[in-house]
Amino acid sequence: MSRQALALTTYFGERSRVRGRLLADELLDIHARHEVHASILLRGIQGFGGKHRLRTDRLLTLSEDLPLVSVAIDVPARIEALLADVSAIGDEGLMTLERTRMGGAGLCTSEAASTSSEEVKLTVYLGRHERVNGAPAFTAVCQALYDGGAAGATVLLGVDGTRHGRRERAQFFARNANVPLMVVSVGDPQPIYRALERLGEILRDPLLTIERVRVCKRDGVLTQASHDHPLASKHSPDTRQKLTIVVSEAARHDRQPIYLELVRRLRTAGAAGATSLRGIWGFHGDHPPHGDRLLSIRRHVPVVTVTIDTPQRIAELFPIIDELTAEQGLVTSELIPASSPLHLAPGL
Amino acid sequence: MSAPAWIGVAILGSLGSVVRFLLDDAVSTRNPSSFPLGTLAVNASGALILGLLTGLALSGEALLLAGSATIGSYTTFSTWMLETHRLGEDGQLLAGALNVLVSVVVGLAAASLGRSIGATL
Repeated sequence: MSRQALALTTYFGERSRVRGRLLADELLDIHARHEVHASILLRGIQGFGGKHRLRTDRLLTLSEDLPLVSVAIDVPARIEALLADVSAIGDEGLMTLERTRMGGAGLCTSEAASTSSEEVKLTVYLGRHERVNGAPAFTAVCQALYDGGAAGATVLLGVDGTRHGRRERAQFFARNANVPLMVVSVGDPQPIYRALERLGEILRDPLLTIERVRVCKRDGVLTQASHDHPLASKHSPDTRQKLTIVVSEAARHDRQPIYLELVRRLRTAGAAGATSLRGIWGFHGDHPPHGDRLLSIRRHVPVVTVTIDTPQRIAELFPIIDELTAEQGLVTSELIPASSPLHLAPGL
Repeated sequence: MSAPAWIGVAILGSLGSVVRFLLDDAVSTRNPSSFPLGTLAVNASGALILGLLTGLALSGEALLLAGSATIGSYTTFSTWMLETHRLGEDGQLLAGALNVLVSVVVGLAAASLGRSIGATL
């Protein structure tokens, strides 16, 4: 069973305000009011936006007003109603609307029928303390994806959101067991469907979305150029392209951490914006899923960097990404269709 | 210590932290390297000014207000340590070690330079 769905993603700043309230609070209240099937608020670790100010959690003074990302998933009718309310509170930040399919573990059977050669992106929404056979559910999900042969998976911890329409917000003194987290994975269709079957066995009432994606580069091997996307040639002026780069926090290029250098160079090259999110667990490439190690100063978690721009600008920026991911990392590309409302406003 | 001195400590203390924030932000934004230059600039300039003030041989409460309150809240040990730790987390162990070493060397030099300038004034 799978249903057509829309994913509304908003990129903004932690300090963004509307009507005298924090935009994050206002946005998630709206998600809760519409009883959105799944939504999540993620806190970035560095980024820049319309104002081109660099924010980073590495320097204390620059770590106020870090980037935030919210994602809301539901059937088109509900997301459109939600969008009307969200648009009414202003156009701070960047908003994208993407088509996806959502469902439970049965997602694979109906999707497998319409299988294509293109890679797919599978997102699994879980509760922070959800467990499978005594282990955290997110590690079990990553293991299933790894065993199935997916190209990569990253676990991103949410701080607020809705699950099955109910608000679940993280609090300072609380168990926060049901606060949402998401596992984002990409890979060839067959490995992902194999993993999906396993997920159906281990997860109770899973919440999943699946959509097409293009894997451009994995572990330094250019699989497909990002810019000769089949749809890119006939895109309308409103089409945007989203590039996602996953590298380990410890991964370095020329002695600099890749994720830092990436955002620094994108900013210098005049990209519209970029946001980095730190995962808590994951894999990309051939190493088994892992997180931080005990008693190790260096961090070994994956960092996801997203940049959105016109396909033409992305093609110009791609050499920067290509150079930094010469040996490692996973680069994927998605086109955000022209039919989606897209606000490019000075945010962050 | 008199009541006005207490009030002075509170006011100058808050002023020092605001100035630190502005300078750190300005330096870090202009030099977006992974090395915490902003904190180094704050701590080195603080050491220079404190050296200068002691060199001037200010009397009791004046030194308390200018030194402990203003420079005490202006410079920051905790941020220096936190940012050094962050460098280590990113695997930049050499940069982390340099951050400690350079801050100590530059800080000591700034303090003694400040003292000798203050003494000649």
